Amino acid sequence: MNRNRSRKIKDLAMTSLFCLAAFMLVAVLAGVAAFLFKEGWQMLSLDFLTEAPSDGMTAGGIMTPLVGTIQLVIVSMAAALPIGIMTGLYFAEYSKDDWLARVLRVSIRCLAGVPSVIYGLFGLSLFVIFLNFGSSLLSAGLTLGCLSLPLIVTVSEQAFLAVPQDYRDASYALGATKCQTILKVVLPSAASTIITGTILSIGRVAGETAPIMFTGAAFFAPEVAKSVFDQVMALPYHIYVLATASTDLEATRPIQYGAILVLIGLVLGTSAIGVVARSRLAARSGRQ
Amino acid sequence: MSSDLFDVQIKTVGLDLFYGDNHVLKNITFDIGRKKVTAFIGPSGCGKSSYLRCLNRMNDFIPSARITGTIEMEGENILSPDTDVITLRRRVGMVFQKPNPFPMSIYENVAYGPRLNGLKDKSILDETVEKSLRGAALWDEVKDKLLSPGTGLSGGQQQRLCIARAIATQPEVLLMDEPTSALDPMSTARVEELIRELKGDYTVAIVTHNMQQAARVSDYTAFFLLGDLIEYDRTAKIFTSPSDKKTEDYISGRFG
Repeated sequence: MNRNRSRKIKDLAMTSLFCLAAFMLVAVLAGVAAFLFKEGWQMLSLDFLTEAPSDGMTAGGIMTPLVGTIQLVIVSMAAALPIGIMTGLYFAEYSKDDWLARVLRVSIRCLAGVPSVIYGLFGLSLFVIFLNFGSSLLSAGLTLGCLSLPLIVTVSEQAFLAVPQDYRDASYALGATKCQTILKVVLPSAASTIITGTILSIGRVAGETAPIMFTGAAFFAPEVAKSVFDQVMALPYHIYVLATASTDLEATRPIQYGAILVLIGLVLGTSAIGVVARSRLAARSGRQ
Repeated sequence: MSSDLFDVQIKTVGLDLFYGDNHVLKNITFDIGRKKVTAFIGPSGCGKSSYLRCLNRMNDFIPSARITGTIEMEGENILSPDTDVITLRRRVGMVFQKPNPFPMSIYENVAYGPRLNGLKDKSILDETVEKSLRGAALWDEVKDKLLSPGTGLSGGQQQRLCIARAIATQPEVLLMDEPTSALDPMSTARVEELIRELKGDYTVAIVTHNMQQAARVSDYTAFFLLGDLIEYDRTAKIFTSPSDKKTEDYISGRFG
């Protein structure tokens, strides 16, 4: 009787503890969101999004860094997606379990663990200096592309491996070549998972500061980059600049929080689009 | 059994198949008749599915597989390294054990093979899709939802969709590897009915675990046991007065 009761109390205590832990996590997130919203919401307006920073970044909006971040995402994905997906295909469909594949796999796992500032220095020496792209949208975008490669490769490989062998058999039995099978059956079946992975990398790329500081992000640029060889402003770096190097901290603080809200909204927004796109694709292909 | 009773479509001579050290098929020699249904029966692991996979060279995907002997189709040895496997597979369609429609629309599933053959003309494609779906006795059930996913159909419908997909390339031979083992009795009955209809146009080779099914749908039956072809004859003969004691034991349910 007594043991039974103490067991129940222990059970209740543990349940409460775990619930509390989970609740704390939500509370931290809600706290951050509430704080940012309180500080930044009055900044949110169409003008804030469409005006370039002015008066030494103590007034105006965030148009140039916002567009810059979008440009960086586009350049990085244009570079990383084809290479990442093809590498994933190589692992899933072509590589045998030999030393080459193993070396490649270990390399990719190591790349995933490299701190982002190292990517920044790598981009500086390879793209900016060696390839002579200069500090530019191209260099920064390619650096971010390198950073997102491990994630895209891993997600793609898993997506391809998850495509049932039945589909491949059916395709081969109809007289398809390996290439046709991959293009017409394997890739479309894996697309929804790859899209989700891409969204995750976009979120990561949009929020990175260290890799672009030395490779293409401008402290201030009067206008949007018109070529890939121009420097760009980028939201995360802009936020960093506003918070640490402003001439008038009081004046820039609301802009800083507004910019943070927009950046977070951008990242969450992409995720939302990704989730919708994924479920649409899944519904169309009949796989849930 | 004498093979001059029918027009030979597939002539197998001295076929041996190994998976690594495993001797899966042992010196198989027999002829499959044109536009007949030939059933392959035998206990699990007897080599009947492996034989089927020789006919469209799907064993090529198994690295340890080694084949000797010949299988002639229209006088050409399809096991020869010179055989164009892609062309062969367009001549020899296959329906698998588990319905495996692609995660695409019903229309795209059926159009897949013809498109591989380079067919692009929309009206001819439409025609081929309709003809194939009619051929697989599925048209009336799906004609209003050709663009909905093939995976949304019931199991039996999915299998008939796979049959439609296989006949869309107008193969000469249709291989069926236990096509009804994943289906309920009603769907099985429909697929069996379909197989009987198909034999007017195709040479059908069907592997089945279900002896009643073999008896119901096939003209000829081959009984495999541990990699040997024990007996091959008219289905009626096999099921009424088999020549070999082992065949009799198997069909009367004494083992297997």
